[in-house]
Amino acid sequence: MYKYLLCWRYLKTRYIALASVISVMLGVATMIVVNSVMAGFAHTMRDRLHGILADIVVESYDLDGFWNWKEVQDMIQQECGDLVEATAPTMETFGLLKIYLPDGQAITRQVMVIGIRPEDRAKTGDFVEFVQDDKGQKVEPSFKVPDAWKNNSPAGHLLAETPKDDPLHDILRQQATEQVPDHGAIVGYALATIHRPGATSDDFIAPPGSKVALVYPQAGRKPQAAYDDYTVVGYFKSGMSEYDSMHVYVPLERLQFMRMLGDGKGAGAVNQIQVQVKPGVDINEVANRLQRVLDGRRPLYFRVATWEQKQGPLLEAVKIEQFILNVLLFLIIAVAGFGILAIFSMIVVEKTRDIGVLKSLGASTGGVRGIFLSYGLALSIVGCGAGMIEGLLIVHYLNDIEKLINSLTGTRVFNPDIYYFSEIPTLVEPMTVFGIVVGAILIAVTASIWPAHRASKLHPVQALRFE
Amino acid sequence: MILPMIRKGLPQMKTHLNAIGLKKTYHKGRSLEVPVLHGVDFSIERGEMVAIVGASGSGKSTLLHLLGLLDGPDAGEIHLNGQRIDNLPDRRRDHLRNEAFGFVFQSYHLMPELTALENVLMPHLIRLSPWKWFSEKRKLKREGMMWLERVGLEKRARHKPSELSGGEMQRTAIARALSGNPQLILADEPTGNLDAETGQSVMKLLRDLNLEQSMTMIVVTHDLNVARQADRVVRLNQGLVETYNPVLAA
Repeated sequence: MYKYLLCWRYLKTRYIALASVISVMLGVATMIVVNSVMAGFAHTMRDRLHGILADIVVESYDLDGFWNWKEVQDMIQQECGDLVEATAPTMETFGLLKIYLPDGQAITRQVMVIGIRPEDRAKTGDFVEFVQDDKGQKVEPSFKVPDAWKNNSPAGHLLAETPKDDPLHDILRQQATEQVPDHGAIVGYALATIHRPGATSDDFIAPPGSKVALVYPQAGRKPQAAYDDYTVVGYFKSGMSEYDSMHVYVPLERLQFMRMLGDGKGAGAVNQIQVQVKPGVDINEVANRLQRVLDGRRPLYFRVATWEQKQGPLLEAVKIEQFILNVLLFLIIAVAGFGILAIFSMIVVEKTRDIGVLKSLGASTGGVRGIFLSYGLALSIVGCGAGMIEGLLIVHYLNDIEKLINSLTGTRVFNPDIYYFSEIPTLVEPMTVFGIVVGAILIAVTASIWPAHRASKLHPVQALRFE
Repeated sequence: MILPMIRKGLPQMKTHLNAIGLKKTYHKGRSLEVPVLHGVDFSIERGEMVAIVGASGSGKSTLLHLLGLLDGPDAGEIHLNGQRIDNLPDRRRDHLRNEAFGFVFQSYHLMPELTALENVLMPHLIRLSPWKWFSEKRKLKREGMMWLERVGLEKRARHKPSELSGGEMQRTAIARALSGNPQLILADEPTGNLDAETGQSVMKLLRDLNLEQSMTMIVVTHDLNVARQADRVVRLNQGLVETYNPVLAA
């Protein structure tokens, strides 16, 4: 019993030791905050990455794709029909986007042109969540160009005033289509806008209804560039700058047609089939099954990958970053451990005579060791507990703290324009918090083992005579 | 001085603790050896109070530490109630120190973080598991208060050692030594840090307890006035024992 009584009294009276746990507390709090922010970033990023892609992507190695995609879709249904929720054929290819500015200039950017059927693509992944208008309002994904835009074009105005039987009518109609093409395109938000430092809103260089041109390779033995005009009907804003500055979505049939891979009426090639599985289904298992089935389709090679495999390098990079940060932060706690060791050694020296008295009263070696080990455990629990509370409070009020720092320093700690998040995302993972706390307690207790052992080995007579 | 003589003659007395041929040498560094005890024979009867006197460095405290199992002899044997105890394993020695011996030190050696009552109860706190302690807490606290009352400190039970005078601290230490219901009290210069008057009152307390409880007591002192109150005085000289009659010496 004396172990716990003395441990409790030491805890209440030895303030120097309490000071030593401040470093443990700060280490634990820092680790919780950093891990929560990293997890928040990673989780949001994974959400968005997952939203961009369906659960599983079946793709051909050849950019020109495969014509028998309906057959492949049937095979998917046959093999895993009960596990699959929806499929969507898509065509992806590299291309160039030309944005025409009002002053006659044009901006050209490298893009990924993705041909989709909006109604199918909306069923696979969170694509529908990322399509918005120029006001930032979410809109239904569609490539339909409103008639009003065409009518409001210079040629459209003239066309409205020109009788149908006028020979100029057809020419004006053609001009109106040239000014506002019939086919819509959903353009990556970062492609369509320019962000000026310090500005509160972004400038649209490709506003809704503006004409953009796309250049992409045609299929064939000698690839040639195909050129097509589109009207900007919406924007794709996932929050991942890599995609928002690269992706341009166009109607699948139009892309197939222009790439000489389809008749423009439904028959054509695709190079990807996005597969959305039902909730709770193991996507890796489905992917493996599909890969096995599609392996039989050789010599037409298919690659079946889950969204995680497709985004592997990025997710892996985040994991490694998080791991290295954790190692570095744990070193802070290890340093705190050495602090505890030093202070405990000092306390053992200070308490030498008391240890002698305890031994003279019959305290065993293990008992004396137990006093200091329980003391170390109690201190670490206090430090880790306080650190955990502090860390969780900081995480909870992180955005308020950021605003306070912003107002005090006049600089933006977290710029939403850079990170695409309106506020710092955080995610507290209970197992991570548990791991941090247990790890810190272990370090602190380990640091008290040596001083405790030294105390237990003190000779009672020498301890009593200690000056 | 009459009582000790009467007690000496009591027929029921039997050897309580005895030591045969105790030798102890301290080693300082690798080569320096300081022989302290050269083969000390010592025995004490049940209920007897023996004072060990001698010059500084004569080995008084060393002998007390050996008898109380705080240290081990290089040679010789120690017997308690006829049973050899110097060669017991550590765990048994710890138990014996807790249950059979009560120590009183010159510098009181109270735990500064604990109250007087908690210090008094320390032998029980060491002996009992938390579960047993909580189940017997009330009874033990009553006993602790009884011992504090016996040494005249019942009103100082909640005071920390830093709030007590030297005499009060020593009386608390005596209460602590007694609270574990030991067979023997081993006191090392119990009045050494006290003024003459307080020392005398502490010695009187020890003597009274010795008589009331028939408690066997070994008191190490260099003060002959203190030694005279014992039943028997053992003088250590150059690591060897001389015994003489205190009454004659007076």
